Amino acid sequence: MSSPEAIPDGELYAARQKIYPREIEGRFQRLRNLAVWVLLGIYYGLPWIRWDDRQAVLFDLPARKFHIFGLTLWPQDFYFLTWLLIIAALSLFFFTALAGRVFCGYACPQTVWTESFIWIERWFEGNRSQQMKLAKAPWSAEKVLRKGGKQVAWVLFALWTGYTFVGYFTPIAELGAKILQFSTGPWETFWVLFYGGATYVNAGFMREQVCKYMCPYARFQSAMFDRDTLIVTYDETRGEPRGARKKNVDPKSKGLGDCVDCTMCVQVCPTGIDIRKGLQYECIACAACIDACDEVMEKVGYPKGLIRYDTQHGLEGKAKRIVRPRTLVYATLLAVLVAGFGVTLANRSVVDVDVIRDRNALFRERPDGRIENVYNVKILNKDREAHDFRITASGLPGVEVDYAGPTVRVEPGAVQGVPVRIRVPRAEIKGGADLVIAIEAADLPGLGASGQARFIAPTD
Amino acid sequence: MPLLGDEYAGAVRWPRLWQDVAIVAWPSFLVAAVATMICFAFIDPLLVGHDDFPPPAFATRMSGYAIGFFFFWLISALSSLLTLYLARTARPETPEKETQGDWTRSVP
Repeated sequence: MSSPEAIPDGELYAARQKIYPREIEGRFQRLRNLAVWVLLGIYYGLPWIRWDDRQAVLFDLPARKFHIFGLTLWPQDFYFLTWLLIIAALSLFFFTALAGRVFCGYACPQTVWTESFIWIERWFEGNRSQQMKLAKAPWSAEKVLRKGGKQVAWVLFALWTGYTFVGYFTPIAELGAKILQFSTGPWETFWVLFYGGATYVNAGFMREQVCKYMCPYARFQSAMFDRDTLIVTYDETRGEPRGARKKNVDPKSKGLGDCVDCTMCVQVCPTGIDIRKGLQYECIACAACIDACDEVMEKVGYPKGLIRYDTQHGLEGKAKRIVRPRTLVYATLLAVLVAGFGVTLANRSVVDVDVIRDRNALFRERPDGRIENVYNVKILNKDREAHDFRITASGLPGVEVDYAGPTVRVEPGAVQGVPVRIRVPRAEIKGGADLVIAIEAADLPGLGASGQARFIAPTD
Repeated sequence: MPLLGDEYAGAVRWPRLWQDVAIVAWPSFLVAAVATMICFAFIDPLLVGHDDFPPPAFATRMSGYAIGFFFFWLISALSSLLTLYLARTARPETPEKETQGDWTRSVP
């Protein structure tokens, strides 16, 4: 194996070597473990929660309806999703400016699944040195069992992940029953394998390479950094010059800093970097090196925090500023967007109307001298109760509406098409004009919607 | 105390081919996911080509979404591939430097 420094010029691309991160305990590691349990718990548990006799969270793509607990979203509500994505992006900016790559270290799916795959690996292959020993050892029954067991566990875990993923889009209990009977549809099978396969490859093999080569956020996050952003950092002034020393030797008498050069920070790093070289874009701010270094500092009797969460200003001994123009702007924007989202969602109309002209005839002249146009009025009831709707028209003098009334019942979550004849006295109109067709719930005044339509009449 | 020895893999790089595949496939995957969402929020796959001469394009909505997604992925991957090709084959304006790690020191 060779370190990057050993690669000769012109050969910048060495084959990737596997990184064996050393297991570590400490406060940040406990926090990360907690994050893994909570986030994976939500991911695997959420599709099993029931709400009103249906799955609580179900993105029902075949029916084009998204159920999120008590809320049902239709394609017409798409802008909420866009809005949510903008909020998510801005949150990422905000937290990056504030605390650096906390998302990468604690919440990114890549980190979370990699972490759980590493746990499985340790369960079968032991700790870091045992893993490296096993990798070098010749094939034996034990090696086959350990490596094979790991692969089986990985594959099962990945398949369960894929199954859960599809369970967000098609009722998960029925999907499970179908899988047991080998009767899943082609696309269900495909997506279970696709997502499961992606999890297996990403978390089992690609791991930190995803962060290094494929993640755009890792590259552009520096634009959101400033000297007050919290980063995982090595206190160079305190640590250097680094070097091994005997116990009870005063490092100052030997001209040494606090770093005992034990390389624990490098061994625990999941991306295989040396934090002492400064902030690098490979660093996902998982803080494993902080835990490792604190442990060592405690052992040798030095103060903790040689590697710590700090800001550039903090390292230079200057005041830390959390409130600054950048964070203020992000926070204000975020607050406005979140508040707007809440208000809009709360006031969202649960009915909608779509008016489509009858294609067969432009107009009909009735014996009573009036002009008749036919429309198909589609009433969409997004509410969770049925409503009875009245249909009215306005915008033209003497307009009359004729439909199978007096009210039209629309079941919850249903679209009801109503053929509607609209008549206008011939004297009142020439050519064409716009009119407004409105619906209102007879059982709940104030609940309604309206749509525009073109009324066509003879030109003479 | 063990020093960084043979066992330290360090921040080594992927082979170039892997990098190329990754940086073409992954961004186009992300873009395709977004494009699929936007496209099918407005278009119901069951109505594509419906009651016109070409018969309905998709038998089920799920197949419409899936085929749509892979179509977008293919198109955006082609674009990524061309961009990568142009970027890789351009004559460098300054002699190429080893840039890995430089980012670290350039943080404001």
